[in-house]
Amino acid sequence: MLIRRLYQFLMIYFLGVGVLLALKYGAGLSDYVVPGPVLIWRTCMDTTARYLSDVADTLSVAVVGQVLSILLALLVGILGRQTSWFGSFIKAAAYNVQAYPIVALAPIIFILLGDGWPARLLIAAMICYFPLLLSVLGIMSEPVVDIEHFYRQTGRMRWQLEVKIRAFENIGKLTTVIAGSATLAMAGTIVAEFIAANAGIGYSIRIALYQSDLAKILVALFVIGITLSLYQGFLEWCGLRVKSAWIGQPGEPSGGES
Amino acid sequence: MNRLTLQQFLMPVWVLIFAFAAADQARAVDTVVYRLKWLKNMSTAGDLVANSLGYFERAGLSVTVKAGGPERDALRELELGHAHFGVASADQVIRARAKGAPVVVIAQLFQVNPLQWIYHMDGGAMNSPGDLENKTIGVTFGKNDEIIMRTLIAGAGIKATSVRLFSVRLDYTPFYKGQVDLWPVYINTQGIEIGEKLKRAGVAVGFFDPSDHGVRFVANSVVTSRRMMEKDSTTVRRFLGALLEGWRFAMDPDNAGRTVTVVQGFDRDSGKAVLEAQLEATRKLVRPSSDTAIGAIDVPAWLQTETIMLNHGQIDAPVKVGDILMPLSASQ
Amino acid sequence: MRLECQDITYGYAGSAHPVIENLSLAIDEPGFHALFGPSGVGKSSLAKVMAKMVEPQNGTIRVGGNGPVFYSHNMERLPDWSPVGRHMDRITPDHHVSLRTELIAAFGLEALLGHRFSQLSLGQQNRINLLRYLVQDFQVLIMDESLANVDEQTREQILLTIKGYFPGSVFIYISHNVGEVATFCRQIWVLRDRRRSPQVLRRIGLDFRSDQLLDRSALDHTMLEMMSAD
Repeated sequence: MLIRRLYQFLMIYFLGVGVLLALKYGAGLSDYVVPGPVLIWRTCMDTTARYLSDVADTLSVAVVGQVLSILLALLVGILGRQTSWFGSFIKAAAYNVQAYPIVALAPIIFILLGDGWPARLLIAAMICYFPLLLSVLGIMSEPVVDIEHFYRQTGRMRWQLEVKIRAFENIGKLTTVIAGSATLAMAGTIVAEFIAANAGIGYSIRIALYQSDLAKILVALFVIGITLSLYQGFLEWCGLRVKSAWIGQPGEPSGGES
Repeated sequence: MNRLTLQQFLMPVWVLIFAFAAADQARAVDTVVYRLKWLKNMSTAGDLVANSLGYFERAGLSVTVKAGGPERDALRELELGHAHFGVASADQVIRARAKGAPVVVIAQLFQVNPLQWIYHMDGGAMNSPGDLENKTIGVTFGKNDEIIMRTLIAGAGIKATSVRLFSVRLDYTPFYKGQVDLWPVYINTQGIEIGEKLKRAGVAVGFFDPSDHGVRFVANSVVTSRRMMEKDSTTVRRFLGALLEGWRFAMDPDNAGRTVTVVQGFDRDSGKAVLEAQLEATRKLVRPSSDTAIGAIDVPAWLQTETIMLNHGQIDAPVKVGDILMPLSASQ
Repeated sequence: MRLECQDITYGYAGSAHPVIENLSLAIDEPGFHALFGPSGVGKSSLAKVMAKMVEPQNGTIRVGGNGPVFYSHNMERLPDWSPVGRHMDRITPDHHVSLRTELIAAFGLEALLGHRFSQLSLGQQNRINLLRYLVQDFQVLIMDESLANVDEQTREQILLTIKGYFPGSVFIYISHNVGEVATFCRQIWVLRDRRRSPQVLRRIGLDFRSDQLLDRSALDHTMLEMMSAD
């Protein structure tokens, strides 16, 4: 799965570079506007180590932000799953807020918190929080009637059991949305850094933009893509481990009635 | 992928390529775009006067003057056809030429480079490039101040890791707050503005001038593409003629009042007194003496800029500066 | 009186007509009582009304005595995060632990307690699901096709086992199997289309037990009565 991710990314990346180079040679653009392969390679040698460090910085902020937003989404989603006024309010608020591009609030956050990691962390958390919350709310609000029926009838249903049943039955959806939120968190952090931060790969891309250095930007994009593929592959692996630990090894059903 | 789908897939690429080629024909028109290096302020007085007081119009040109900024690059825009003329400093032009950018210089607006760094005097005076070590230095990445500062640092033998370069945009707050030790300013505009503000606040400031330490780069110059020069030299002459007339008007002390009024229409944050002081400072940079021709290209200064950049590793090889300097008389 | 339905009218939300209209029946004795009829006639709806899972638009349900009315069906599932044996441990009241052990043996489920629910066949799933209801304290247990995936012979054994262990409980048995209903139930409520009046007819079943011999001609007669009631 990881190999496939990496392979797909590399295909898309080199296709993109190919299109740029086609544009360069087709339109006769200089290395100043679109760098040639030699310049890209030289820049790669010069900057990869630094950009790896930058992307690790960005990823660390994105991961912490994602974890915080997962925990908060689980908490609010579990609280909001009921049909009480609070639950309805939470659902309506989540639905409306998630439609707003949170990254547009980044400048305000940077003004208030400065350009250090707290602002980046907050933006990363906010960006992936609302879609996560919506998914968790959807999962937690939908009864699994086939399983819950017995416990409700016999008076054994507790909120912990209800949450456990619904989470378990939707473990696939949950792991998918968590893996997807990784991309959101990373993208949001990079954009926030691009806007106003003083560290991270987004900041480095901004500098490269000011320097009109497309070669640096291409190297940065490559490093981001590899790192994100590795991270998503890791999340998928974690999801499989969670599933197999919780669901158990697939076994052969007993054959027929004896 | 069948043949039809491949053609459809490549269609946008062909359209893009043909659009660039067709742009050549589009340039033989009277509507041009002029991309400045930075914001519209007193450093662009002549540009704004040329447009606002009808010099371009009388030359038969409709000119859109666009402000520059951190993300803007006139040289890139020239090559991509987004602009017909631009303003860039010599180090920017030389670095772009080193990468093959087909840019030519048609006039030099500043005869004296206004770029300096302002700093708080409470840390002591900064008398040599060695004083830059262990400092946080503001630079506008991609602009001439980055190149000049790197040249100063390299020239002083300071390790790159011994200074922290801070990305400068449009807000001076990091300098006011003391997060940044040195802040790049044009001495004729931001130098006056920030200097006045800090003086009123009782803060003593100094100015670090690269030219005092042997780094004398040529500053704002008017550029265009080689393609424009070869295919539409008439428009180039008309544009430059009108532009330099605007600068001559703006730099004439008798026209100070009108020039300030024009610039004030674009730089609404600066008061009249500040603008007047800026105009006087700008005049000394554009026309340091009465026999200086406005727009004249100082070829030795360009060659020196190239040499310094080469010696400090900013470029790998000479770029034949002489080939890209095309003053108006040479282009006629 | 154990359970009484008086003038029950019930229809699905948004439906033009009720599925049950002015239906009345009473169950006075323990044992197996069947709801029988063609598909869609309202057997499950009536059962859910009895279990107070849904509210009828009209009419009343009265349940005498103590103890809940449980509704079970064949689509239910146990959580799959641990083996079914662990689930059974958790939901069995202390005073029914030995009952559980005996029923597990009687239902032939001892070897399956270490499996997860999804690893069982449909028939095994039906059995374990029913078993967990049987170890609860209840007054009435509705079995809505609860053993639909179990083979006929095993099903009969299970019904006889239940009769032996729960002589004082009421079971409302819903099934399409006319022979089985006629054999094992003491009272058979044949539901008809709501436009028929009365919508339900009562027939007497054989209430067969393991200590009896099956009267084939009585069975045939009962089955005929059931089929002709529609």
